[in-house]
Amino acid sequence: MKTIFTVVFFGIINMAIAQDEFFQPGSTIGGYGELHWNKANDADGNSTKNTMDFHRFIIYYGYNWTEKWSFKSEVELEHNFVADDHGELELEQAFVNYHAGNWGFQGGVILPTAGLLNEYHEPPLFLSVERPVYSKYIIPTTWFGNGFVFYGNHSGFNFRLALLEDLNGDGIVKDGHIRGGRGKGFKTTGESLTKNFSASYTGINGLRVGGSFTMNEAPTSAIKAETIHTWEYTQTAGTETEDDSDDFWEWADKVKEIEGKDGGSIGVSLFEINAKYDANKIFAVLEYGKSDFKGNNANDFTDFSSSGYYLDMGYNIGDFVNTNKLIPWLRISNVSKNDDDVKKQTDYLRFGLTWWPINDVAFKTDFANVTTDGTTTTEFNLGIGYKF
Amino acid sequence: MRLHSPIFKLKYFILILISAILLGGSPIRDATENYITSQFEDSISVKMHTLVLDTELKALVQNRVKQRFFRDELYYWTITQKDTTIAYALMDNVLGKSMPITFLVIVGIDGRIIISKVIKYREAYGGEVGNKNWLAQFTHFSDTSDFKVGKNIDGISGATISVNSLAKGIQKIAVLFPFIKDKLN
Repeated sequence: MKTIFTVVFFGIINMAIAQDEFFQPGSTIGGYGELHWNKANDADGNSTKNTMDFHRFIIYYGYNWTEKWSFKSEVELEHNFVADDHGELELEQAFVNYHAGNWGFQGGVILPTAGLLNEYHEPPLFLSVERPVYSKYIIPTTWFGNGFVFYGNHSGFNFRLALLEDLNGDGIVKDGHIRGGRGKGFKTTGESLTKNFSASYTGINGLRVGGSFTMNEAPTSAIKAETIHTWEYTQTAGTETEDDSDDFWEWADKVKEIEGKDGGSIGVSLFEINAKYDANKIFAVLEYGKSDFKGNNANDFTDFSSSGYYLDMGYNIGDFVNTNKLIPWLRISNVSKNDDDVKKQTDYLRFGLTWWPINDVAFKTDFANVTTDGTTTTEFNLGIGYKF
Repeated sequence: MRLHSPIFKLKYFILILISAILLGGSPIRDATENYITSQFEDSISVKMHTLVLDTELKALVQNRVKQRFFRDELYYWTITQKDTTIAYALMDNVLGKSMPITFLVIVGIDGRIIISKVIKYREAYGGEVGNKNWLAQFTHFSDTSDFKVGKNIDGISGATISVNSLAKGIQKIAVLFPFIKDKLN
């Protein structure tokens, strides 16, 4: 009996060892980065911008305890250094991941799935020097925060539910768009939690189609009732003549009463769809998104919506010039930060050339006409991006 | 019996060996052999072997494909039908973003790939390389084929690292096969 037990015991151990035969616990390092040279001219052709900027430097670090349990993180330095209001040092991802074949769980600093670039934003993966403007104001890429993710996939379909920190309602009021609402994991709240549900299909070679819906009641601050005293030196008697002997001045207390208000929230809902095709020498991307912002006792706020899209079309001519990958491309885009305000609606017509000498390094250049409320300005960008 | 006596150690070594034989079918091995069997219509037999890679040959293949072998040895299966070898299945691993991707390539005796399969994918992102449609692109490829992603092999948005890594891994098997074919059991 003892021998049978021992055989079974060692058999189980043997199976456990066999299961991890190729896996070794250990760490992984990766990263990406991009240098940009941005130039812009106003409608009269005068230079309004000429900057060189190592925009992003990211180090990825991961550790695998077992096949199923791992840790993943990304630390990002923006604009070379951090001092006063310049540059940013961000913990963009840091989560524990449990992965069990075709489903899993993540907890920590995570990324919601919104648009193509929020999760996959390494520079060699998109055409332009800068990320599409759509991916800044319609989808606030890179959007990260404290929270949890549940995901699964089956037969080419991928599903993901992210629950993360609230958006910052005051930031939305101040900036007038969703980007201002990112909490970036800094002492954020979890009063209603941001709910982000996404699905995508990748069952056809080269094609990815997907979409997501995100909603949150972004809290806004209360206004405290208070009395503000401002002492002003005021003329209280005399005439407006050169003779000031009859003038009389005295200090007066100007009292201003601020009415107290409770904090409210801004209901944010973001819907977006996306598609990318990268096969048969064709590179095409289409993204569309729309957000609604509805105040709920929010102070100094008027309901509004924002929307936008971009369409990329490129063709790989690398074979013709005997190089790995070379794509001339065209982008048509509209970004409306406020659908009721023409001064916040911009059209972009951008074209460029992107060269990948190897798949992980991209040299980029692009030129754009940028039209807002009938006025057209121009942009010219050069850049290099890498990932490893 | 003393714990550290040679007889005690021998007994437990034998027990481990027996248990490995009785219960030790590894999930990877079972999955692999079930898959191989499912790919052939008539009754076949499969037998597993280990191939230790010659240092010079290993370097030659690695330099040509620009990717290292995961280990100094490979597992392979001979697939026989009526005492005739009709194909070989070779297993190797490549690195995804941070974990190994275990894959199998079934190669005909002419050196052409019959089919490829991801036996085990261990990460949250990039699992799309296991899609049958994507792997079917390698069918009929051989050591002289162009495995370039973006040219002959379509990519997968969101799985760039896995795609590039696995395409080279499959190419390594195709390039290696003509050199080892005569040495296989």
